[in-house]
Amino acid sequence: MKQLPLLAAAFLLLAGCNPSPEETGKAAPGPSVAAAPAQPVSGLSSESVYQLPDTFQTQNRQPFLLPELAGKPTVLAMVFTNCGYACPRLTDDMKAIETKLAASAGQVNYALVSFDVARDTAEQLKRYATEKNLGNNWVLLHGSDEAVRTLSVLLNVPYEKTEDGNFSHANKIIVLDQNGVPRFHQEGLGTNPEATISQINALLR
Amino acid sequence: MENMKRFVWLILLLTASAGAFAQAGRAGAKPMHTVAKGVYEPFFRTAATLPVPVAAFRLDEYAVTNAEFIEFVKQNPAWRRSRVNRLFADKNYLLHWATDTTLAPANAPLLQAPVVSVSWFAAQAYAKWQGKRLPTVAEWELAGNGTPRHIRFHSLTDYILDWYKRPNPKVLPPVRSTYVNQYGLYDMHGLIWEWTFDFNSFVGSTDSRGNTTDEVQAFCAAGAVNVKDKTDYAGFMRYGYRGSLKGNFCIQNLGFRCAKSI
Amino acid sequence: MRLPTDFSRARTGLLATALSASVLLFSCQEAGKDKAADTTAVDLNAPLTGTVTAELTDAPLVPKPLTYNTPKKVMVELEVIEKVMKISDDTEYTFWTFGGKVPGKFIRVRVGDLVDFTLKNAPDSKVVHNIDLHAVNGPGGGAEATNVAPGQSANFQFRVLQPGLFVYHCATGPVGMHIANGMYGLILVEPAEGLPKVDREFYLMQGDFYTKGKFEAQGLQPFDEEKAIKEQADYVLFNGRVRSTTGKNALQANVGENVRLFVGNGGPNLVSSFHAIGEIFDKVYMEGGSAVNHNVQTTLIPAGGSSVVEMSLQVPGVLNLVDHSIYRAFNKGAIAQIKVSGAENPAVFKRSK
Repeated sequence: MKQLPLLAAAFLLLAGCNPSPEETGKAAPGPSVAAAPAQPVSGLSSESVYQLPDTFQTQNRQPFLLPELAGKPTVLAMVFTNCGYACPRLTDDMKAIETKLAASAGQVNYALVSFDVARDTAEQLKRYATEKNLGNNWVLLHGSDEAVRTLSVLLNVPYEKTEDGNFSHANKIIVLDQNGVPRFHQEGLGTNPEATISQINALLR
Repeated sequence: MENMKRFVWLILLLTASAGAFAQAGRAGAKPMHTVAKGVYEPFFRTAATLPVPVAAFRLDEYAVTNAEFIEFVKQNPAWRRSRVNRLFADKNYLLHWATDTTLAPANAPLLQAPVVSVSWFAAQAYAKWQGKRLPTVAEWELAGNGTPRHIRFHSLTDYILDWYKRPNPKVLPPVRSTYVNQYGLYDMHGLIWEWTFDFNSFVGSTDSRGNTTDEVQAFCAAGAVNVKDKTDYAGFMRYGYRGSLKGNFCIQNLGFRCAKSI
Repeated sequence: MRLPTDFSRARTGLLATALSASVLLFSCQEAGKDKAADTTAVDLNAPLTGTVTAELTDAPLVPKPLTYNTPKKVMVELEVIEKVMKISDDTEYTFWTFGGKVPGKFIRVRVGDLVDFTLKNAPDSKVVHNIDLHAVNGPGGGAEATNVAPGQSANFQFRVLQPGLFVYHCATGPVGMHIANGMYGLILVEPAEGLPKVDREFYLMQGDFYTKGKFEAQGLQPFDEEKAIKEQADYVLFNGRVRSTTGKNALQANVGENVRLFVGNGGPNLVSSFHAIGEIFDKVYMEGGSAVNHNVQTTLIPAGGSSVVEMSLQVPGVLNLVDHSIYRAFNKGAIAQIKVSGAENPAVFKRSK
């Protein structure tokens, strides 16, 4: 029930892209469904990446819309679970941030979005969450090729699928505010999280 | 709650009927040509990089024109210049248009020129509306590498470099005004730059001279990034250009064309 | 007795060697200390004392000497402009520029300043550009922070830690082509105490150019990458054009004046043997750094390097400034001139009747 207003917002968005009555005189050449909403979703800041309309799937096989993250600051990284080197460390870096924010437990979301549309199914993401001992405030997301690419464009996380099925990608941990506006990013692996922590604390104040 | 259900049904209905329109709309659609399956050699590569096989696909014969894009914004008011969200198109979006849906009368020749100053998000939306998609970098590069049919150049690279060496023309020429290649595709080079679906797939330092930062720390890639062919100046420019882009950028020599899987 | 004498001489010699070696060592250590002092002299925690917008000039002009002596935040904005300009009287070339001219705008800051740098790329540019300033301690000299698409801009900040005359240039791939098209300029970092006062300051920058047609072939001449790779320059120029600084465009000075030239070399390929015909450089800040040499006839300026030279002018006439790799001067354009006005000075130079 909590999700209904958000769903409605997403649908409104789709509706907003449909031709208005006075313009439907001519036959429309195609579905008036835009890849991304051209106008701000009501209630969200115009810079919010939560305007991405695509539905993701969580590690618990639940459909998930990004606006569900709204209301709390979110720490987000894009990863893939087959990654042998960077991604486990990126996840650990996020866990380190979580540990340092223990006092604010429950007030911050932690999200991992997978590049690996083919292999990182909900089941695989669940396995990874268990393996890495990620708590209830973590959501691991699987999405369509287009949804993941669009999110990467919005968050400036370049990535490329390589011929061996793995991914080259930027190592970034992104802090989104309560509205889904990117406020800060921590670049690299094993980076001192002090600046990131203070950004999140500023958002929590 | 009842209202909500009805609303959802309405949306589903609308979407379904729009899908039907899509079928109808494609009857008089613009020509597409098949690019046979091939192999794409990434320009920037690491020791681990392998050539990428590309499946056969269809690509628009020429770039999306202003006239075509006017039709799109007429039918999708949310993508009009006055209404679009800055997150999805910066302030230069369709800057060369006189109004939300028209070019100035003096600019009539531009109707058949490629639409430029459009963002990646707008290009994505247009492609989706057409029931198509943007080509990937691999697809675009494979198509772009097609041999010119009629005009003779010293080499394709020479032709492209010649374009880079000339300033942008005052008035952008119409589509199909440069050359056609072996696939029947026009203007793959020499008219505009084009968006690709995964334009942000260039992973590595944007400093073309290589590792001035710790690449392995900042990027998950197997060591130093090398260039396939250091004399491929045209390749340098294209990859550098893509690497400088963000999804909402609207640039006056950047347009797009659509692709379709087979 | 001879042996001991020889022995003592030998000992003296050894001692002298040892002494000079230790002096040498000592001076090396001094130099080492100086180096450490230069980069740590700036108190990074001290508050900046205001914000100024940098005066930017086109060659041959140089911004006025700075009048402030505490670190400030200095705003610098450069726009990359691609444009067709004359490379010679009847020859055109598509230059890529920092600010609309070749070389790019001269930037003048003081050691300790915080430079807030914005690089814009003109909306009608064809390609992507960035900037690497050799005065920067940081990734790519700023190149990584400034990869700018047409119509966009990028910003970064850097603290100026070391004094000197530094080259800046575009570093977007292919770097050679961007530099060959004229994308370079100079940034002067004045030492804390400023530079000694002189009567006139000028800005010259050498660069080599590669065109499909040969030297001064008419019309719009495109860049020739083959020649660039082979380092076979068609043009070697001061300030981006044949005769940019000769005849009616010559630099003007008077007998009795002290003239300082800020000379850069953008390359992309050639090293300059910079020389003034009929003058001797009183002072040369070698390679644009802090070491000063005196009484120099010809000074080397590396590609991507600079030099500051000073001359006192004793005699009137036209001084030709050349790259003394002399075919470049007389066949490829590498001549600039200073017109020195004033009374003859027969005590220094007199033509015999």
